[in-house]
Amino acid sequence: MELTKNITLGVYLPGKTLIHRLDPRTKIIAAAFLITLLLFIRSYEAYGIFLLFTAMVILSAGIPVSFALCGLKPMLPVLALMWVFQLFLYSTPGAEVLFSWWIFTATDTGLHMGNLITLRVLFLFIVTTILTLTTSIVSLTDGLENLLKPLRKIGLPSQELVMTMVIALRFVLILAEELDKIVKAQMARGVAFDRGNFLQKTRKLFPVFLPLFINAFKRAEELIVAMEARSYTGGKGRTKMKTLHMGRVDLAAGFIMLLFSALIIYIIISIKPQI
Amino acid sequence: MPIEVSSLCHSYKKSTPFEKKVLHDINLSIKDGEFVGIIGPTQSGKTTLAQHFNALIIPQQGRVIINNCDTADKKADLVKLRHDVGYVFQNPDYQLFAPTVGEDIAFGPKNQNLTGDEIECRVLEVMEQVGLDYATFLRRDIFALSGGQKRRAAIAGVLACRPQILILDDITAGLDPRGREEILGVIRKLHREQKITIIYISNSMDEVAELAERIVVIDHGRIAFDGTTRDVFSQSEQLYSIGLELPEVMIIADKLRALGYHLPPAILNLEEALDSIAAALQEGRVAD
Repeated sequence: MELTKNITLGVYLPGKTLIHRLDPRTKIIAAAFLITLLLFIRSYEAYGIFLLFTAMVILSAGIPVSFALCGLKPMLPVLALMWVFQLFLYSTPGAEVLFSWWIFTATDTGLHMGNLITLRVLFLFIVTTILTLTTSIVSLTDGLENLLKPLRKIGLPSQELVMTMVIALRFVLILAEELDKIVKAQMARGVAFDRGNFLQKTRKLFPVFLPLFINAFKRAEELIVAMEARSYTGGKGRTKMKTLHMGRVDLAAGFIMLLFSALIIYIIISIKPQI
Repeated sequence: MPIEVSSLCHSYKKSTPFEKKVLHDINLSIKDGEFVGIIGPTQSGKTTLAQHFNALIIPQQGRVIINNCDTADKKADLVKLRHDVGYVFQNPDYQLFAPTVGEDIAFGPKNQNLTGDEIECRVLEVMEQVGLDYATFLRRDIFALSGGQKRRAAIAGVLACRPQILILDDITAGLDPRGREEILGVIRKLHREQKITIIYISNSMDEVAELAERIVVIDHGRIAFDGTTRDVFSQSEQLYSIGLELPEVMIIADKLRALGYHLPPAILNLEEALDSIAAALQEGRVAD
C-alpha cells in the first residue's frame, strides 16, 4: 500500500541532463506548444511522430520509461471509460457500423474518435509530466511568473496565480502521503476497503476523506501563517535571488521545436484526418 | 500472540527512481507480554518495521509471522489480525473522524460486527481505561478535545478492538508534560493489568528507559542492539555514535560518578535515581 508510488505529476526528478538545464521558460513554452499541437492532431501518423519525439525527450532527460508510465496507471479506468463512450456515442452520418449490441451501435468513426481522444489525453499527461519531472518547483515558478509578467499590466496578479498553482501542485503529493497514513490508521481499526458491495465500499470512504479534508484545511491555515510570518504580502515588489538566462542550449531546443512543429503541421495539412 | 520476523527487507517506492532501502535483513522475535521499546534516529525505519507487525505493510522480502499466521499468505485473515494487533499512530488527527468521541471509539468494534450492547460495553470500558470520563466525554465533539485528550481518544479507539498486542508509534510527541504523564500512566496500567504486549516506538530515551523491559535499537534499517533496557543503555558510546542519547537520569548519574559519588550502575528511572542519589549524598564522596 503505497499511494505516493504511482504519482508522477508534480514530482521533480533531479538530474543534470540537457533537458534539466534548459531555461524553465523554454520548457514551459515548448510544453504549451506541444499541447497546442496535440489539439490539432487528427491522424495516427502524426501521433506516431509525436510518440517518437516524446520518447526521445524522455530518454535524453534520463527518465526511466517505467517510471514515466506508472503515473498513468491510476488514469487508466478513466481513459477506458472515455474510449467506450466515444466508441458508442459518437458517429457521423454514413459511418460504417462495426457491430451493435442492444441499443448501442459502434461505428468506425466512433472507434477512431475514441482512439484519438484517448491518445490526446495520454499525450497531454505525458507532456506535462515531462515538464514537471525535469523542472524543479522553484524554477517552474520563476519561469511561469516571468512569462506571465506582461499580463500584470492588464491587472492579472501573475505572481499570486503562480504561487497558488505551485502550492496546489505541491499539495498533490502531500495529500497523497497523508491519505496513505489515514488509510492505514483506519485499516488498523479493521476497515476492509476491498470487502462489501458498492454502497458499503463507498461508506468506508468517510473515515478516510473526513480526516483528509480537515487536515488539508488545517495545513492550509498553517501555511498562510507561515507565509505571513515571513512577510509575504503578495507579488508586489518581490525580487529574485536567481535571475533567468537563456543560453545556446535554449536556442538549440527552440530550433528543434520549430523543426518538429513544422513536421507535425505538414502532416496535419497533408494527411487526410481519420475523423 | 508472539511475533516472529525473519530476514525482513523493505524498500520504499520500490522500482521507481526514488527507491530507498529502509529495512535490511531484520530478524526479531517478540514474546507474549513483553514491553519492547523501539528506538532509533529519525528515518531509521522504526515505523516501517512496526507497520509490518499488523500487516499494514506486507513483507516484500522475508517473513513476518504473527501467532502462526504468515502475513504474506493470501489466505490470511488480515482484518482479524489487525484487530488483534492494535496500532496507534503518532498523529491522532489521522484516525479520529466521527463527530463525537463515543462514535469514534465505537468505530473499531463496529467493524468487528459486534452487537450494540457489546459495543457500548466496550466503549465504557476503554474510556475508563484511558481516563476519559464516560459521562463527560461520550458525546463530546472531537474537535473540542485538547491534544492529550485526542491521543487518549485515539488509544481508546484502538483498545476497543481488544488487541492482544498494542503498537504505540511515538504517541507522546508534542504533548505537554502533564498530558505525557497521563498517557504513560495509561500505558503502564495496560501492560501491568491486562498483560498486553506493548511495542513502544519513541524518540524519548527517558520514556523507553522508564517503561520498556527490552529495547531494540534500529539504525539505518538494521538492528543495532537488542537486549534488556539496562544492557542497551550501558553501551553509551555506541548509542552516541548513531545519534542517540542516554536517558537524562543516566547522564546525571554519570556526572555525579565523575564527581566521585558512589552510585549503582544503570539507573533507569526517576525513582531509582532519587533513591540512589539521596543515598549517595548521605554516604558522601568516595574520595573523602
